[in-house]
Amino acid sequence: MAELLQYLTSGLAVGMVYALVALGFVLIWKSSSVANLALGQLVLLSSWFTYGMLVQAKFPAWLGFPLVVLFALALGWIIERFILRPLIAQPILSLITVTLGVAYFIEGVVSFIWPWSVAALPRLFPTEPIRFAGAVVSQEYLWVTFISLVVFGLLTIFFKYHKMGIAMRATADDQLAVQACGIPVTVIFSRSWMFACVVAAVGGVLISSIGGITYGLVETGLKAFSVVILGGLDSFLGAIIAGPIIGLAESLGGGYLTPLTWAGVKDIIPFIIIIIVMLIKPYGLFGETRIERI
Amino acid sequence: MKRKKILVLAVVCLALLLVVLPFASACAAKGPKPGQELKIGMMTPTTGPAAEKGSPMGHANLDAMEYVNTELGGAGGYPIKVLWYDSGYDAAKVATFVKRFIDEGALLFTVASSAEMSWAMELANRAEFPGLASFTAPSLYRPPKHIYGQMPDYGDDWTAFANYYMKNVWKGTGRPKMALELLNNPTGYGARDAAKAMADKLGIDIISTDEHTATTISEMDALTRIKAAKPDVLYISSTPKPTAVILKNARDLGLLTGTTIGLGHAGITKALVDIAGVDVVEGVYGVFPTVNWDDNVPGMAKMTEYVKKLHPNDYGNMDYITSWAQSLIVAEILKNAVKNVGYDKLAKGGVEAYQAIETQGIQKLNYDVAGLHGPAIYTQGDNRLSKSVRVFQIRKGVITPVTNWLEAPMIKYEDFPWFGK
Amino acid sequence: MGLPSGTRNYTYAQDMAILRTRTHWALFIGFLVLLFGAPLYLSGYWLGVANLIGITLIAATGLNLLVGYCGQLSIGHAGFIAVGAYTTAIFTNRLELPFLVGLIGAGVVAGIVGLIFGIPSVRVKGFYLAITTIAAQFIIIWVINHWSSVTGGFVGIKVPYASIGPLVFRSESSQFYLIFTIAVICTFFAKNLARTRVGRAFIAVRDNDLAAEVMGINLFYYKLLAFFIGCFMAGIAGALLAHWVGFMNAEHFSLTESILYIGMIIIGGLGTTLGPILGVVVIRLLQQVLTIQLVPFLEESLPLPSGFATGVTPMLFGLAIILFLILEPRGLAHRWMLFKSAYRLWPFSY
Repeated sequence: MAELLQYLTSGLAVGMVYALVALGFVLIWKSSSVANLALGQLVLLSSWFTYGMLVQAKFPAWLGFPLVVLFALALGWIIERFILRPLIAQPILSLITVTLGVAYFIEGVVSFIWPWSVAALPRLFPTEPIRFAGAVVSQEYLWVTFISLVVFGLLTIFFKYHKMGIAMRATADDQLAVQACGIPVTVIFSRSWMFACVVAAVGGVLISSIGGITYGLVETGLKAFSVVILGGLDSFLGAIIAGPIIGLAESLGGGYLTPLTWAGVKDIIPFIIIIIVMLIKPYGLFGETRIERI
Repeated sequence: MKRKKILVLAVVCLALLLVVLPFASACAAKGPKPGQELKIGMMTPTTGPAAEKGSPMGHANLDAMEYVNTELGGAGGYPIKVLWYDSGYDAAKVATFVKRFIDEGALLFTVASSAEMSWAMELANRAEFPGLASFTAPSLYRPPKHIYGQMPDYGDDWTAFANYYMKNVWKGTGRPKMALELLNNPTGYGARDAAKAMADKLGIDIISTDEHTATTISEMDALTRIKAAKPDVLYISSTPKPTAVILKNARDLGLLTGTTIGLGHAGITKALVDIAGVDVVEGVYGVFPTVNWDDNVPGMAKMTEYVKKLHPNDYGNMDYITSWAQSLIVAEILKNAVKNVGYDKLAKGGVEAYQAIETQGIQKLNYDVAGLHGPAIYTQGDNRLSKSVRVFQIRKGVITPVTNWLEAPMIKYEDFPWFGK
Repeated sequence: MGLPSGTRNYTYAQDMAILRTRTHWALFIGFLVLLFGAPLYLSGYWLGVANLIGITLIAATGLNLLVGYCGQLSIGHAGFIAVGAYTTAIFTNRLELPFLVGLIGAGVVAGIVGLIFGIPSVRVKGFYLAITTIAAQFIIIWVINHWSSVTGGFVGIKVPYASIGPLVFRSESSQFYLIFTIAVICTFFAKNLARTRVGRAFIAVRDNDLAAEVMGINLFYYKLLAFFIGCFMAGIAGALLAHWVGFMNAEHFSLTESILYIGMIIIGGLGTTLGPILGVVVIRLLQQVLTIQLVPFLEESLPLPSGFATGVTPMLFGLAIILFLILEPRGLAHRWMLFKSAYRLWPFSY
């Protein structure tokens, strides 16, 4: 029983980490239907930038973190302005592939500036784990959970009530109609990339406070894809719910199924669940179902 | 129209790049004494998923070669010309780069990781082209062919640690229970193979085998199960980042008190201490085949001088020592070969030169590697050059040796039916 | 597309011919001679790169049928290549069957595995489908890694030389002939398939599968057929790769490789026969040239600490992908078509 509780808590905690990264992915998809393959690299780059600010330049946190946010905003603006804007109205797969180019480019920049390629951020959170009813969870994960909920809340409110947010949703729905209404689509895209980079930066800082800054962050970013697709590509709620589902699947599967099968089964279970869910709900759990007409 | 012009320009530039570079690099390559040099090939995964280790290792390889060439006058008086490529931890690149080394007349090649060597080794074996890997797994040279291991493999780590544990740490009665946490690649499974072969002999019960990915951010599920089985010792064979995550999880679960932790040599580095935190790694044991920074050995001064001059950020990284030593060994191999068969035979290249390198260079090795790790000596039928490891313990954030050099016995894995063909 | 003036077709066969004029034939034969003469003028390393290109081309052609013609996004192609590679390894090493059995077996087994993971395509579309193929990638690699009694597991598996009867493909150049014969056959197969009923059905499914269904195209059948053919070619490519490298473990077949395959066919041009060829050649050559030529050149010409230039490789590689796509978002094959039509009308612009 204590074990079950432990599996549940740690599964939920890890799931929120995935959810946080996934939110950044949804942001871009929601406004421009572009799958951002450079997500992992954005996480990596902003983690290194944080390292540069806090450890190398020795800025205090109150100065360092706002600089990181500014950097992320600038990064998002640059990527959109110079790489994605020229491709507006081109085949969507070309836009997706161009983010692959961005991914390689960022990787190169990172190994150019930080060639020693492994580092640790200063400890951001207290280390003493929290215990309740026999289960243990580290404070790092709790903070991640808290922050992803905050980000989720902000994004939801923004998309629901703010003018820009509504315009973003409209853009996702029909670019042509939005343009006809006089909403500048390019500004919308630019903003959504800037926000997405900030979310990636927040995710990056939190994840690298758990496991240090390594290339592995890229693949943690990739894991967000499965979360997003399970939740529905255009749904924040989907991301915030699918994250814990994947986390729980890993944790419970790893806990109970590993003795029965080969080791490492926990990395497969989420995918099996996703395939089954997709067969029942082809647009993910909360994704918008597109009604198709001929 | 404007776009078209840019396109044309871009295509022309790219074409120029493709055409000019070979010539340019060919021109730049010619030193003062054209032809009078010994060529070798080196690969490290400096970018890509293994950059964490590959980057400092590449720096070390090249820094050491610069040292050999400028201060020691190369190998046997001939400068060593290094063809060094970043493999990006990409199998397709590794395969073509090996062919490139052969094409360019390299006498031998080195790689950093066991994975790279596993992608290269059959191509090299087919061409009888000798290769040397820093980090190795038993699969690379069991049965032994033209591939050599610089240091003991991940399996030997396990054996050394298990021996040490049984002699010095285990105070209970009966057989200790050991749980394994392995990285899902040869780094992890090299240790598993050794455990499979030797655990019974040493009187250890392996109670569970778990694996993790290099990108894991929580291993609570596996550790909860491990904790329920009440192991006496937990052995982790992995790289620093996942090891740090596992140790932090284990600390949260209270697994660190009462359970001895052992690490393979891929995991116990300064990066681990940085990521996991000094308090978490306190008292953790680990096996490492080289000396530590600032140890009092003959080769330390020069290495420290070069690292501080060229790559100050790598100071303190033990992987740097590994690859620095690798370059020294390569220089020694070439020196032996030049001494025993003469420069002309090596300069001819081809299979004869490879055989000369192997029989007169590698197999005649008797080199102390400037004290940086166990002596590199070839023994018949065992392609590991250095066979010694030391057990370390992390004390107050410092990786401190607790034993002298221990000889890791050779295990004939190919005699076991479960060992892959 | 317009034909050069003065070229007229009098029969259906003439109209449908791939090679229509004498110049076509001359250029085509010249190209084949140049291609198959490659071992005469290429060194071992460049021949190795050529072989890698050939193998990649076979897989990319299959992926292009699946993604470019039938519109089913697959981000797990390396997984299917792995199935082929391991099938031939098991057939020829463990069971000691002849190479040809291994080769065909590799294609068939990979095709069947593709079918299994293609089933969700009946309901799932677009980027959502990508996840089932990513899942395929991870599940396949996991099975290979752990079913060690058959696959060798993490240790890896050895693969003998390819051989047909007494003929053993030992040297790089003999492997070149083997690989490129198959690559040429595959390209022709793809080119012709696209012009048959099946190909037209694929295109209909890609452009609007609802409309296609209404017109009487069996979606289930054609989507799965596309998966089977695409993965069959992946399997063949995997088999050739296995015999070429001689020893492999599952780390050969990473997710990044799968994503790169998608990149290749998009840069080359989706839904064309020429596209994969251009994309594969450009990407594979870039990878090699940047690392082999540019980095050593920079390292030697600038007096900076060793290893400083490594970041340049991924940076320029990414930049090249970005530039190719910004300047020609429809793929290089599209630019080639534009060039051809301009050339035909030259010197008159219309």
